[in-house]
Amino acid sequence: MDRDGKSALIATYLERRADLVRFFTLRLRSSSAAEDLVQEIYVRLASVDGLSDIQNPAAYLYRLGSNLMLDRLRGQRRTAHRDAAWLDSQTTRMGAHEVSPEPSAEAAVAARQRLAQLNAALTELGAQTQRVFRMHKFEGLSHPEVAQALGISRSAVEKHMMQALKHLLARLP
Amino acid sequence: MSGEREIPGGDHAAEEAASWFVRLQGGAATGADWLAFEGWLQAAPAHASAYEALERLWVDLDNATLVRDLGDCPVMRSAAPRAVNANRRAWIGAGAALAASLVLAAGVGLWPASHVKPQIFRTAPGQTRQITLADGTHIRLNAASEISISLDRDARRVRMADAEAVFDVTHDPARPFLIAVGDRQVRVVGTEFNLRHREGMVALTVRRGVVEVRPVDAPQAQPTRVAVGQQLAHAEGQSAQTLSAAEPDAAFAWTNGQLIYRDRPLSEVAGDLTRRFGVPVRAADPQTAALRFTGVLVTDDEAAVLRRLEAFAPVTASRHADGVVLRRKRAG
Repeated sequence: MDRDGKSALIATYLERRADLVRFFTLRLRSSSAAEDLVQEIYVRLASVDGLSDIQNPAAYLYRLGSNLMLDRLRGQRRTAHRDAAWLDSQTTRMGAHEVSPEPSAEAAVAARQRLAQLNAALTELGAQTQRVFRMHKFEGLSHPEVAQALGISRSAVEKHMMQALKHLLARLP
Repeated sequence: MSGEREIPGGDHAAEEAASWFVRLQGGAATGADWLAFEGWLQAAPAHASAYEALERLWVDLDNATLVRDLGDCPVMRSAAPRAVNANRRAWIGAGAALAASLVLAAGVGLWPASHVKPQIFRTAPGQTRQITLADGTHIRLNAASEISISLDRDARRVRMADAEAVFDVTHDPARPFLIAVGDRQVRVVGTEFNLRHREGMVALTVRRGVVEVRPVDAPQAQPTRVAVGQQLAHAEGQSAQTLSAAEPDAAFAWTNGQLIYRDRPLSEVAGDLTRRFGVPVRAADPQTAALRFTGVLVTDDEAAVLRRLEAFAPVTASRHADGVVLRRKRAG
């Protein structure tokens, strides 16, 4: 069963490879970066050691690639956050002004400000939207799980998520 | 969508990007949806930038905090009733204070029938193992460990027997990553952490992201959040757990062939060496077992490690037919 799931995925991959490269070329604005990413999707598939129960293989491949992109983005953003934490421990405060020992710490300051803005914007959401957002983003529940937990429809969950993201986007520069 | 009101000042591309993002994250998306999304991306250059802004927002939100509204959040109780409730009833039915080992012994029968049979991974003493799961999650299993894994449609589930492992979990909001470890449940969104379950003690150290822990038999309880640079320690059967600042590298050191201790009892060192080399290492008496040890041991070969231990700690190591005995040196 595991093997069938895996070979079905690999078959889908081979069938859709050109589509994937085209899609990720658009997303990464570089065909060589897209080739690398699509190759990495294959490496992930080939090294599968666990079980898989995948309903929609084509969508799974797109999502796997998109998640790899998000992970890379996480790596880049994390550096700024780590710098922000470092800055917190290194910065001397004189009145309301921060005296930074490191002149190139602007990115870290920006990351920290953005985080404060995000936290503030989250509290502005309606109670139910907050609840949906928290359960999906911070507690990792899927849309159907959130819908079931709150006794609302899946499309209502999507609506709350869209509302939350639009609000956050609108509140951030 | 058509009934949505425009945000004042909000632009259309941002709204559409949010709609696509939510739909594609929803888990019900098909290959055709992704092709339609591709068409949207191509339709205007502003679309791609709007979508990228949204991805940056999503990633930055990993570090954000939303104050919980207390009291109305039966997340686990109702969120995945098939899986979690079935497990929970069975666990409670078998005795609320059941030791982890018993739960694990009965474990396979407790998996709901609708789920895939769990796969079991074991390592012998002296052996470690790398596991890559279908979702891209990497697990590095330390020596003398056993875990079982089941990638279900609604969640990824792991049961941890006596074991230690580093988890690098792929972010997948549609399928939370749940680990049953003793009488605690660890809930992961997407992060890297070391989880140790030895002799009834649970220790969790986070290197990246945030992990949530709650009692297995109180899934609706307010979880404890463990963040980067923190360690949660808990003795099974007790209600208390402590959260302290910790150097993540120490907990992860075993993946580089090192053991790092800061003020730990020698009995813990003996247990780690037993698992690392497959030869029983024990303390001769309770006084020796209780000695505190601080230091780094490179675990290249057994004899060399024991020599270093003798140099760093006030003990002698002697080899017997049934293993190695550590004995406190006499004072003076």
